[in-house]
Amino acid sequence: MKILICVKQVPDMESRFKPDNAGVWFSDTDLAFRMNEYDEYAVEQAVQLREQLGDAADLTVLSIGPDRIVEALKKALAMGCDRAVHIQDPAAALKDPWQIAAIIAAFAKDKGFDLIFTGLQSQDRGSAQVGVTVAERLGFACTTTLVGFAFADGVITAKRELEGGVKGVVKLRTPALVTCQLGLNVPRYPTLPNIMKSKKKELVTIPVADLLHEEALAVTARFYPPAKKGGGIVLEGDVGDMAEKLIAILKEKTNVLR
Amino acid sequence: MFLELTEEQKLIQETAREFARVELEPVAAQLDQEHDRGPLLANLKKLAELGFMGLNIREEFGGAEAGTIAFSLAMTEIARACASTAVTVSVNNMVCEVIQAVGTEEQKQAYIPRICSGEFAAGSFALTETGAGSDPSGMTTQAVADGDSYVLNGAKIFITSAPYAGVFVVWAVTDKEAPKGKGISCFLVEAGTKGLIIGKEEKKMGQHASATNEVLFDDCRIPKSALMGKLNDGFRTAVGELAGGRIGIGSLGLGIGLAAMDYATHYATERSQFGQRISNFQAIQWMIADGYTELEAARLLLLNAAFRKDSGRTFAKEASMAKLYATEAANRACYAALQMLGGYGYTQDFPVERYARDARITAIYEGTNEIQRVIISREILKNFG
Repeated sequence: MKILICVKQVPDMESRFKPDNAGVWFSDTDLAFRMNEYDEYAVEQAVQLREQLGDAADLTVLSIGPDRIVEALKKALAMGCDRAVHIQDPAAALKDPWQIAAIIAAFAKDKGFDLIFTGLQSQDRGSAQVGVTVAERLGFACTTTLVGFAFADGVITAKRELEGGVKGVVKLRTPALVTCQLGLNVPRYPTLPNIMKSKKKELVTIPVADLLHEEALAVTARFYPPAKKGGGIVLEGDVGDMAEKLIAILKEKTNVLR
Repeated sequence: MFLELTEEQKLIQETAREFARVELEPVAAQLDQEHDRGPLLANLKKLAELGFMGLNIREEFGGAEAGTIAFSLAMTEIARACASTAVTVSVNNMVCEVIQAVGTEEQKQAYIPRICSGEFAAGSFALTETGAGSDPSGMTTQAVADGDSYVLNGAKIFITSAPYAGVFVVWAVTDKEAPKGKGISCFLVEAGTKGLIIGKEEKKMGQHASATNEVLFDDCRIPKSALMGKLNDGFRTAVGELAGGRIGIGSLGLGIGLAAMDYATHYATERSQFGQRISNFQAIQWMIADGYTELEAARLLLLNAAFRKDSGRTFAKEASMAKLYATEAANRACYAALQMLGGYGYTQDFPVERYARDARITAIYEGTNEIQRVIISREILKNFG
């Protein structure tokens, strides 16, 4: 079973974001990067499936971006993927989800992948479009927002998270693509020996120009931080009044006291 | 000149940081206050399974072969969350490294994989005695050859991890007539060996979860094959291995110092006095600036010492410089951090008093900082006159 896992390297979400010089994305100078959280669930699920299937499974991890993303690929290799593909693109952050999906689909077509795992969305752009678009372009069955996964007799049983905590179960045959949500699993820490051994695993680099022949459909026009608001609401008066006001606000603005 | 970490080093640092944040930090205060070592031992096992007990150990013995820079980074991240766990990891790595450096093939196979895998929660380094601290060559523990055995008699003190160590690296006098330091040999003694007695546990100021015990040898008979390295050459081994350990302890100090400064700086941006955040006051700003500047210098000294060790260059002087500076910078950082928290810093409701207690010993163990200065000046003076 050939499995592809698509991962993205994103900034640590505790970073302070500043617009880049062109004002269309954040500046990546001085940011610390790590693997997109949802993609860690994707890698973990693929590695668990390999543990179930043994050597019958072959795991390729793919990422698009500048050279620094090799760290994310190596993490996936250290977690248990067999080989990595780095689509080299210093300007990946400026591409829209359609282009990113086109790149992945161009790589994956004719490779005979049975199953593709992606994160539900990236933590930085958050479009949640890449996975489903890849599936569409490849003609794969697709389901999203996985919180449970099982595979038996060629059939994937996917538990999905719907609005308001409602769950749904979807069954699909391969070839298929699934997008992974928080709660699907607990990603393993890569062990130190496996981190060191990731150096010896296959890592293929492909220039993005070899795969991308699509224009962007939705170009990011501007990136800016929200205007600074005041310091929230400051309640004044005696304690009883403040408690009344707080309860009123909680009732009006939140679900806490409904 | 290239100051970037490799991808592998960054991933090891990230793994250590994540593990420390998720597993170590939540139990650190509890470990400091309570006597139950369950959570410590459980975390040591998990750290072993991830490969943190043999960072600089060959793969064939279950090590990670990740190098000394990765070791330094890992120690700092672990110590940011829990210094007691960190010191245990540092000593375990040192014990594995000394066995790898001078042990026989059988000794390496017998012990290193058991520490690296976590089968042994720890290994102990039994050098210090009541009368032989900064001057270990003055030790009196004796090993006397008797047929196929050596018989050990004597007492060691301040032995890290003794109650849960699976194996002890023990130094003892094998030639009483030899000049000072020339008649000492090194042995491997398994826990449970008859005559190996774990004595009283010290009640320490900090690093409470890490046990520090007296270890006694009462006609403790060990096979001749327990000799590690050359007969009467053990002192040189000890001195050599301690240099590597100093990188670990310096990195541990750095981690505590960073934890203290991070906590206090965050506090300073929230705490208001005189109608404004105290981080607006220059007195606080200077503490922040000085603390982080010194810790940054410490980090670079440590990485330089680690780089030299990994490159096969001499590193004893650099390791001593890094240990000396990092642990003193950490103590100053803890002092400043506690000051920034004011009275709250002195209470157990905040972690800074724990950081301050945990940091204090780093200027003492693995060679007092006065001994580090002796080593540094001796190395420098060699090149003059």
